Amino acid sequence: MSTYGGDSWAREAHHRKRRVDDLMLSSSSSRDASSPSFKKLSNGKYACLVCPHNPILDTPLLLSVHNKGSRHIAAESRVRASELSKRNELHKRIALSDDSTGLSSSEILVQQGKSSGFHNKPLIQKTMKAILETKSNQMENPKFVVAGNKTDLGTRSSVCDSKYSPATDGIREPSRNDARESSNSNEKKLLMTVATNKMLADLHSEFSERREKELKFTSAGWKRDCHGKWYRDENVEFDSDEEDPNITLR
Amino acid sequence: MVAACEKQKLVYVLNRDAAARLTISSPLEAHKSHTITYSVTGVDCGFDNPVFAAIELDYSEADIDPTGQAAADAQKHLTFYELDLGLNHVSRKWSEPVDNGANLLVTVPGGGDGPSGVLVCAENFVIYKNQGHPDVRAVIPRRADLPAERGVLVVSAATHRQKSMFFFLLQTEYGDIFRVTLEHEGDRVTELKIKYFDTIPVTSSMSVLKTGFLFAASEFGNHALYQFQAIGEAEDVEASSATLMETEEGFQPVFFQPRGLKNLVRIDQVESLMPIMDMRVMNLFEEETPQVFTLCGRGPRSSLRILRPGLAINEMAVSQLPGTPSAVWTVKKNVNDEFDAYIVVSFVNATLVLSIGETIEEVSDSGFLDTTPSLSVSLLGDDSLMQVHPNGIRHIREDGRINEWKTPGKKTIVKVGLNRLQVVIALSGGELIYFEMDMTGQLMEVEKHEMPGDVACLDIAPVPEGRHRSRFLAVGSYDNTIRILSLDPDDCMQILSVQSVSSPPESLLLLEVQASTGGEDGADHPASVFLNAGLQNGVLFRTVVDMVTGQLSDTRSRFLGLRAPKLFSATVRGRQAMLCLSSRPWLGYIHQGHFLLTPLSYETLEYAASFSSDQCAEGVVAVAGEALRIFTIERLGETFNETVVPLRYTPRKFVLQPKRKHLIIIESDQGAFTAEEREAARKECLEAAKMGENGNANNGQQMENGGGAGDDEDDALSDEQYGYPKAESDKWVSCIRVLDPRTGNTTCLLELQENEAAFSLCTVNFHDKEYGTLLAVGTAKGLQFWPKRSLAAGFIHIYRFVEEGKSLELVHKTQVEGVPLTLCQFQGRLLAGIGSVLRLYDLGKRRLLRKCENKLFPNTIVSMHTYRDRIYVGDIQESFHYCKYRRDENQLYIFADDSVPRWLTASHHIDFDTMAGADKFGNIYFVRLPQDLSDEIEEDPTGGKIKWEQGKLNGAPNKMEEIVQFHVGDVVTCLQKASLIPGGGECVIYGTVMGSLGALLPFNSREDVDFFSHLEMHMRQEHPPLCGRDHMAFRSAYFPVKDVIDGDLCEQFPTLPPDLQRKIADELDRTPGEILKKLEDVRNKII
Repeated sequence: MSTYGGDSWAREAHHRKRRVDDLMLSSSSSRDASSPSFKKLSNGKYACLVCPHNPILDTPLLLSVHNKGSRHIAAESRVRASELSKRNELHKRIALSDDSTGLSSSEILVQQGKSSGFHNKPLIQKTMKAILETKSNQMENPKFVVAGNKTDLGTRSSVCDSKYSPATDGIREPSRNDARESSNSNEKKLLMTVATNKMLADLHSEFSERREKELKFTSAGWKRDCHGKWYRDENVEFDSDEEDPNITLR
Repeated sequence: MVAACEKQKLVYVLNRDAAARLTISSPLEAHKSHTITYSVTGVDCGFDNPVFAAIELDYSEADIDPTGQAAADAQKHLTFYELDLGLNHVSRKWSEPVDNGANLLVTVPGGGDGPSGVLVCAENFVIYKNQGHPDVRAVIPRRADLPAERGVLVVSAATHRQKSMFFFLLQTEYGDIFRVTLEHEGDRVTELKIKYFDTIPVTSSMSVLKTGFLFAASEFGNHALYQFQAIGEAEDVEASSATLMETEEGFQPVFFQPRGLKNLVRIDQVESLMPIMDMRVMNLFEEETPQVFTLCGRGPRSSLRILRPGLAINEMAVSQLPGTPSAVWTVKKNVNDEFDAYIVVSFVNATLVLSIGETIEEVSDSGFLDTTPSLSVSLLGDDSLMQVHPNGIRHIREDGRINEWKTPGKKTIVKVGLNRLQVVIALSGGELIYFEMDMTGQLMEVEKHEMPGDVACLDIAPVPEGRHRSRFLAVGSYDNTIRILSLDPDDCMQILSVQSVSSPPESLLLLEVQASTGGEDGADHPASVFLNAGLQNGVLFRTVVDMVTGQLSDTRSRFLGLRAPKLFSATVRGRQAMLCLSSRPWLGYIHQGHFLLTPLSYETLEYAASFSSDQCAEGVVAVAGEALRIFTIERLGETFNETVVPLRYTPRKFVLQPKRKHLIIIESDQGAFTAEEREAARKECLEAAKMGENGNANNGQQMENGGGAGDDEDDALSDEQYGYPKAESDKWVSCIRVLDPRTGNTTCLLELQENEAAFSLCTVNFHDKEYGTLLAVGTAKGLQFWPKRSLAAGFIHIYRFVEEGKSLELVHKTQVEGVPLTLCQFQGRLLAGIGSVLRLYDLGKRRLLRKCENKLFPNTIVSMHTYRDRIYVGDIQESFHYCKYRRDENQLYIFADDSVPRWLTASHHIDFDTMAGADKFGNIYFVRLPQDLSDEIEEDPTGGKIKWEQGKLNGAPNKMEEIVQFHVGDVVTCLQKASLIPGGGECVIYGTVMGSLGALLPFNSREDVDFFSHLEMHMRQEHPPLCGRDHMAFRSAYFPVKDVIDGDLCEQFPTLPPDLQRKIADELDRTPGEILKKLEDVRNKII
């Protein structure tokens, strides 16, 4: 920093930047807590989890410097790519199991898996489990948004059950008679979610419809003033019986 | 003497040196600044010093006089220049004022043959002038229907000289030819006579041949060759210097009435598409290959021409047969006969023999067995006939004796191959039996051979001249092989070579290409035998057979069609040729030293044979369906054959009505009368002529054929030949035509009224409007180009299709302020280029509604193409501008333009970022928006960038890159991306003003590019053009040529001498054969 002379603002700026980096480091670690890129060791040092040889770094500054290094970036992108491919694979399987026969077929598969021995094929079982899990996650995610309340793990699994195993109810009944009421209530919840989902979709289509209409009016030569009122562009010609957006879009 | 338009005049002296070679001296100068030269000619003065005459205009005073008085007084002069051979110096000898309308000089024979001097052709006059001789002047007769203010100009001239006499043929701008004669005594001309000769379409040059023909190179359209029937020597001349009458208003005009051809007869014509106004490649008729629709010609000679790749066919006869024939042959009775004697048709279970005479009729005394199908019928030896049928061979001797050979056991003959002296049959099971004709005319069995499997096809090469037998037999088997077997007595039926092919062969033909050493086709060809095989997958396989060893080399294959090609020998221009019958017929023949394989424009044929009779020397007889067809093949060597549909006025543009596949054509002409006015004028004229007959003595030049023929004559005056009567230059006529291309019928013709002319059209589908497809036509009213471009108004007409698209009905018309030179549909609206304004219209109830416009274009918009939300606008002077329409802002933005100001004449959209264009200086170019720029523009979600980005010096913010540049040397009027062959790659097809069609084929491998650029480089060095111009300089005449290889130059490779070919091939590490194959491959990719 001496290049700028003794009383240059540059040094201060540099310090400030370091500090920001520090803060950013901690904030970024808190941001995606699910998969932190480093681990704070008990001795106060930091270990990078992304790079394959997990280097240990003394200070957050060094960590941030390391994080900007080309090796780290390369490793990071590799990790990201592998994650992405995993996710793609997952989606693919979901899509495959989600064809016209849809749920029932997957169900049959599950049944088959249970009855006619996929026991000796742990990989397939694992995959199926993963698919089911993702599906249930997909199902409940909108519910999270709409309901806004957190559900415990128990309900989550029951949602999953009620959704995916109505036909297997009979088989399970003897063992889970007591859980019936709760599952009923869960079904209600589910119905609600479906309804809200639909509402959301409607809302969305309505919005895009409205947007399309607005676009039609703008391309027909209408303009909007600062109050949102529509007026005719003086350079554009209109038919005598043209629709007025002020009325149509109210 | 060579004169530039302005100032320079150079005189070159041509001499012969001791070795009688022509040498050209360095030029002598006769420059005079501030002069414009209109015409130059040599003056015939025998063996005196050479004299040249020129019509000149001196503008030095007019240039410096600001009042314009001097310009108004400017006077043309006729100047004689003399080349003093002694002093080697050029001097002005004599100068005299001439009429200001003078435009052309014609040399008058001198020396001992005539009076010398020149004829000065001026507006309305022909004047004889010579130094020291008074002017002899005569009026050029006028057509009676010519408006008074229009002059008559001579546009081309030809001189005919014989020992004792000479005359001139002068053609006026209306097409009338006048015969001009001079009465002279020694050097004194006493009278100049002008007599109406005939009328032919306006020419740019005429030439009288000594053999009594006149070749007329037309200004536009087909060129013609005429034969002189007479030289118009009748006494009654229309105009003469002796009868010249001068009044206060000037000289008295002389009138005449054009009539049918009397002195000339048209013998032949050379087809010309000139000028191509618009072109589209479409497959409207659902044929195997698309058709090229071109709008050609101008004025009364305009036409729609439908071009199909292939040779034209002249069908001589079609006759229905009692069943479905399977094969047909023709046979002569004697080898020396000129014509065929019989046509033999084979059916499934019978054979029909037809004798060829005055008529073609069935006969039963031919000796052929008619209760069995035939496999082959031919002439054997000199004068005996042979019929091969499944159960044997029937040999009919000249005296009527019949020898019969029966197949052994239950075997039947399946295939047969033969020539004049040898026969090979294949029995079921794969046994080959070889027969040869012995000295006594007996057919003798020579050899048997067992093939591993059934034989698919057989052929023997024709007997070479001076030999007893042909050496090679080709056998095709179902195991995808072709074998060459020897027929020599020494190694009879030995396999010489084997060739494996991609699919079982269906038909074989050994074709001998005769040796020609510097013959009429101008190239040397060693004799060689080609083995042609039609494979079951539709490919024609062609390979060279070594004459000595029978080895096969240099294989080429070409896909001909969906059916396995059947091959037949035919005769074309006395040479052996090959007919290939696949899903369409093809002809392989030698033309100008090249082997050409061209499709015939005819329906699918089953079986064919060559046919020769006294009505048709080189024909083909073929069977297809239940009919027997006899036809001849015409105009060999041409790539396209054309169907012509005449049009009324100069065609401008056309579009396709997508649903009904009708063409909508707009036509317009300046300075002409509408059809009704013409009709009225014609009637009036007829009446006037009748009055003349009734004793109106003033009309000295009535119709010469007499009154009775009046009506006939009227019909004979076709507009195509005589042109339309001329009107004032600010008068426009125009029409919109709906044409059914299948029948060539016009289903609707709307003539525009009140001096309106159509300039653009497009079909348009307005979104959420109930009309469906509408037609938009851009017109201008009262358009004038001189003295200043002006117009009364421009309009956009909207028409609705009625009666199933056959007819049009006006919905409404909208006035605009300029000429709408281009229209285009865009996102369910109509985009119009009106002058320099790009405007978007929506359909209203009573007019079009202006919705959005951009006025930032530099000059005049002449072309528009759209793709998604991009609009590619072509400006008349400034090349392409890429625009984008933003719906949310209702704005049109120009985001990229070209850095080169091109005068655009044609354009075509190639892909999202690329446009192909042509400019008026004869260049074709491609411009492309760089990929990163294009991405940047597409990824602009807020639209802020495109809105606020500004270019420098009024240009657009982004610039396109020129990726291809090529000087064609001819003004390209239309461009299209299309593929002319089924399954072929797309190429860019262009049409030019001079009527040529060209194609630019994109390379798809780097290897090809390298090969052809090297070949082009060598061709440039080794094969410079005749006049010594540098090829590279020509192709880069305006801009350096870029990434285009001149295929025309590369295709001249076969015309090089063989050692030069070998030299170039060596440098390319290839053989000449490989280069030829490569050239052929590339050509086959296009057509």
